[in-house]
Amino acid sequence: MSLAPAAESDFQPSTQEELSRWLADNSTGPARPVFAVGGGTSTQFGYPSTVAGQTVSTTRLDRVIDYPARDMTVTVEAGITIERLQQLLATERQRLPIDIPEADWATLGGVLATNASGSRRLGLGTMRDAVIGLSAVDAEGRLFKSGGRVVKNVAGYDLCKMLIGSLGTLAVVSQITLKLRPIPERSAILWVPLSAIGEAEPILERLTSSATRPVAIDLLDRRGAELVSAKSRLSLPVNAAVLVVGVEGGVRDTDWQLRTVQDEIRRVQSGESHAVEAGEVDNLWSALTEFPVAIEGPVTFKASLLPSRTVAFVEQSARFGCAIQAHAGSGIVTGHLPGSAETVESAQAIIRPVRQAAEACGGSLVVMRCDDDWKATLNVFGRSTPATDLMRTLKTQLDPRGLLNPRRLFGDM
Amino acid sequence: MHPSTTPADSKITPQVLARLVEIVGVGGILSAREELVVYECDGYTIEKNTPDVVVFPISTAQVVEIVKLCNQHQIPFVPRGAGTSLAGGCLPIGGGVMIALTRMKKILEVNLRDRYAVVEPGLVNVHLTNHLKGTGYHYAPDPSSQGACTIGGNFATNSGGPHTLKYGVTVNHVLGAEMVLPDGRVVEIGGPCEDSPGYDLPGLFVGNEGTFGVCTRITVRLTRDPAAYRTMLGIFNSIQDATQTISNIIGAGIVPAALELMDQGIIEAVEAAFHFGFPLDAAAVLLIEVDGLEVAVDDEARQIIDICNQTGAREVRTANSPKERLLLWKCRKQAFGAIGRLSPSYCTQDGVVPRTKLPEILAFIIAMSEKHAIRIVNVFHAGDGNIHPILLFDERDADQVRRVLAASDAILEKCIELGGSVTGEHGIGVEKINLMNKLFSEIDLAVMAQVRDGYNPSGLCSPRKMLPTAGACGMEHIERSTPGRRAAL
Ligand SMILES: Cc1cc2nc3c(=O)[nH]c(=O)nc-3n(C[C@H](O)[C@H](O)[C@H](O)COP(=O)(O)OP(=O)(O)OC[C@H]3O[C@@H](n4cnc5c(N)ncnc54)[C@H](O)[C@@H]3O)c2cc1C
Repeated sequence: MSLAPAAESDFQPSTQEELSRWLADNSTGPARPVFAVGGGTSTQFGYPSTVAGQTVSTTRLDRVIDYPARDMTVTVEAGITIERLQQLLATERQRLPIDIPEADWATLGGVLATNASGSRRLGLGTMRDAVIGLSAVDAEGRLFKSGGRVVKNVAGYDLCKMLIGSLGTLAVVSQITLKLRPIPERSAILWVPLSAIGEAEPILERLTSSATRPVAIDLLDRRGAELVSAKSRLSLPVNAAVLVVGVEGGVRDTDWQLRTVQDEIRRVQSGESHAVEAGEVDNLWSALTEFPVAIEGPVTFKASLLPSRTVAFVEQSARFGCAIQAHAGSGIVTGHLPGSAETVESAQAIIRPVRQAAEACGGSLVVMRCDDDWKATLNVFGRSTPATDLMRTLKTQLDPRGLLNPRRLFGDM
Repeated sequence: MHPSTTPADSKITPQVLARLVEIVGVGGILSAREELVVYECDGYTIEKNTPDVVVFPISTAQVVEIVKLCNQHQIPFVPRGAGTSLAGGCLPIGGGVMIALTRMKKILEVNLRDRYAVVEPGLVNVHLTNHLKGTGYHYAPDPSSQGACTIGGNFATNSGGPHTLKYGVTVNHVLGAEMVLPDGRVVEIGGPCEDSPGYDLPGLFVGNEGTFGVCTRITVRLTRDPAAYRTMLGIFNSIQDATQTISNIIGAGIVPAALELMDQGIIEAVEAAFHFGFPLDAAAVLLIEVDGLEVAVDDEARQIIDICNQTGAREVRTANSPKERLLLWKCRKQAFGAIGRLSPSYCTQDGVVPRTKLPEILAFIIAMSEKHAIRIVNVFHAGDGNIHPILLFDERDADQVRRVLAASDAILEKCIELGGSVTGEHGIGVEKINLMNKLFSEIDLAVMAQVRDGYNPSGLCSPRKMLPTAGACGMEHIERSTPGRRAAL
C-alpha cells in the first residue's frame, strides 16, 4: 500500500521553517489544498479529496533534535521512521512502547496523525500517553507549539491531544517530543487455542481479576489466527479461535506471570496453552503488529467496543468470514472482510450489521481501507454525533478555508 | 438569602435572581455578602473578588438553565469544585454567577468488567477510591488534596499526584465527559469505548481550566490495584545527593510508582505534626514507592536501595507494615498543612524541569533563598521533575512580600531556561497568566485563543483565565501585591 513519497510529492521541506514558509506562500492568493504525507502507509484512510492540490512530504524532516536519554524523553522531527526511532532508542535500552505496522515506512508524524496502536496498548498505552510536546504548522504557515519537553506540564491547552488522530486536517506536525519507557528485560506470550470463540468469554472475565498484569490480550478468530501464525512463520496450533496473552518484565516475574495465567485459565478452560519459545516471541509480536496491514480482502475495519462486548462481536464477524484481531482488554478490533465481498453491496452486507453491534454499545466502526469508490456507501466513519459538531468547530477555527487534507475526515473536515 | 445585598451595578437584577431561585430552589443559592466571602478566592489567595451569586445545581438540566440565563443577560459565570485550586482558577473576575458543582457528587456507574466509572463532577476524588475498596480497582490520579478536591476540578486542571509518575495524570484516565458548553448546549464527548473517531475531544478538554464550559459528568478509567508495595525512605545529608539519586533512578530506567522529596524544613514541620520519627538533622528525605507484582517489587526495591547507597544516602529505611506505609503517605500528603507551624504565610510554587536538571534547580532555589533572604522549603513530585518550592514569609511585611514575588518569578523563569514549564499540575489560572508569553510565542497563544474562541466565543465562561489578553500582560485587572497565605488542608 506504500506510495513512494519521494517521487510523488510536490514539496519536501528539510526544516520546519521551510515547511512554514511554503505553507504561508501557498495560503496567499488562490490557495491550493495541501496533502501532507509521511511514509504513505495510511493514505488510503479517510475520504479522498475531490479537488487537486499539492502533496507535501515530511520524510526529509527526520532529524533527531534532542535525546536526553537519562530524562527518558526524545525530541525528533515528524518524518523520522518508527524503525529508525526505535533503533536509536534501543541503544539506550528505551522504546516508544507502541506496536506500529510497517515501521520501516511509517513516520512518527503519520502515526500521530492516525493514532495507530497495537496489541500492547492495554498495558503500555497509545500515542496520547506518549506525546508530551509538539510543533506544527497550520494552513497559513504559522509554526506553533504545544506542551514541552518535560513529562508533566499543564501550561495552556493540550493541542497535542487535539492533533493525535486528526489525520492532518488541522495542521502539519513537524516536531514531536515523546515520553519513553525502558525496554523490559523480557517479554513472553501465551498462545491459547480455543475450540470455540465463545470459550474466550470466561477466560477474559477471569483475567479482569488476574493476579498477573498482562500488557496484551488479543483474541483471534480462526482466520485471524491463521494469518498471524503464517506471518510469524512459527507453526502455532490454530483452532476455532486463539487467545494471546502477553506479559513483560523481569525474567523471574514474567516466568511467574506465565505460570499464573496458565493456572488461572486452566481453572475455567480445559484445553492446552502454549508458552511461546523465548526465541520466537519477537516474531509473534511482529506478526500481531502487522495484522492490520496483512491485507486479505477488499475492506479492513477498526471497531471500538466495550471490552465485554468483544467476544460476541468477534463471533458475529467470524460468521461473515472475516479475519479478526481483537485487543480484547481494550475493545479495539481490527477485521479484514473476506475476499468474497467482491462488490460494495456484499461488503455493505457485512459492515452494516457489525457496525450496528459496535454502535449499540456506544462504540464505533471505522473503515480503514477500501476502494475509494466504496467509501460513500460504506460510510467510512459511521454515524455522526453531537460531538462531531465540536470537531467541526476546531476545523473551522484552525483551517477555515479547508486547505489541509480537505474532506478526509468525515467527508467534510 | 438576602437579594437586597446585591451591588447596584451588578447584572444580577432582582428578576435574574428570581429566575435563578426558580432554577435551583431557595436552598441552592447564596447571595448575601457575608455568605459570598467564602467564595472570594480559592487556594490562591493573592487576588480576591466575590461573585454576585453562588448557585448549587443538582442536575445537568439546572446547569443548562443557569448557563442560558447568563447568556441571555451577558453575565459572566465560573464553575467551581472544591476551590482548592492554587492558581486562582475559581476567581470570579467581573463577579457574576459562580456555579458550584459540589452537590452533584453521585457515583453513577461502576463497571469493573469494562474498567470504568461514571461520576458527577462534584464527587471528591478520594470518595471514588474509597467506594472501590475491596473491588481490586482504584482511580489512579491522587492529588495531595484528594481528600477535598473534586473529580470535576481534576478534569478541569488535569491534576497529577504522587502516583501519577507511574500511572499518568488525569488526562490518561479520562475516557469521556458530558459538557454544558458556554452557550448552554449539552454535548457528550468520548465515552467508555476507547478511540472514538475524529479529534480527541476528551484529551483537549481535560485541562481547559473551566474555559470550555461546565463539566457535568465524567467517565474515568479504573486501574487494577497493585498486588504489592515496597515503600522506602532514603535519608540524605545533602540535597544535592538526594536530587542526584532521583536523576540516577530515572536514568537507570526504573519508573517507581512514586518518588517524592521532602527537605529539612518540611521534615521539621511534618515531624512536629505527625511524630513519624523523621531524622531532624537530615538535609532531605526521598519517599520512594515501587508497586506491582509480589515477585517483582523486591528486585526493584533492591535496585533502588543500591542506587541510594551509591549516591551517598545516610540510611534507607523500609516501611514494615501497611500502617507504617499509610503514615508515611499521610505525612507527605498533609505536608502543606504542617507548614502553618513554620511561618504566618507561605506561597507554594509549581514548576517543572527535566529530571536530570533537578540538582541544578534545587541549587538555584537555595541561591534565591539566600539572595532574597526568604526561607524556602521543598516538598515535591521529584520523579516527574515537578518542583514545589514553598516560600515562607509574613504577609504583613511589604518588603518580604516583594522579595517573595521576586524569588518566585526568578525560580519559574529558571525552570523555563532549563527547558521546563511554569506549571506541572496547578494550572495557569490567573496566577501565572503573565508567564504564558515567556513560555509560548505569540503564535502559540493565538492558536490556543482560536481554539478557546471556538467554544467560548463570548468569553462569558471563566473570563480572563489561562490566556493573556492580546497586547496586555493579562494582570492589569489585578493589583498583584501580596502572595497570600495558602489555605492548608
Ligand atoms: C494542599 C493542596 C495540595 C494540592 N496538591 C495537588 C497535587 O498533588 N496535584 C495537583 O494536581 N493539584 C494539587 N492541588 C491543587 C488542586 O487541588 C487541584 O488543582 C484540584 O484539581 C482542584 O480541584 P477542585 O475541585 O478544588 O477545583 P476548584 O479549585 O474548585 O477549580 C479548579 C479549576 O477548575 C474549574 N472547575 C472546577 N470544577 C469544574 C467543572 N465541573 N467544570 C468545569 N470547570 C471546573 C474551576 O473553574 C477552576 O478553574 C493541591 C491543592 C492544595 C490546596
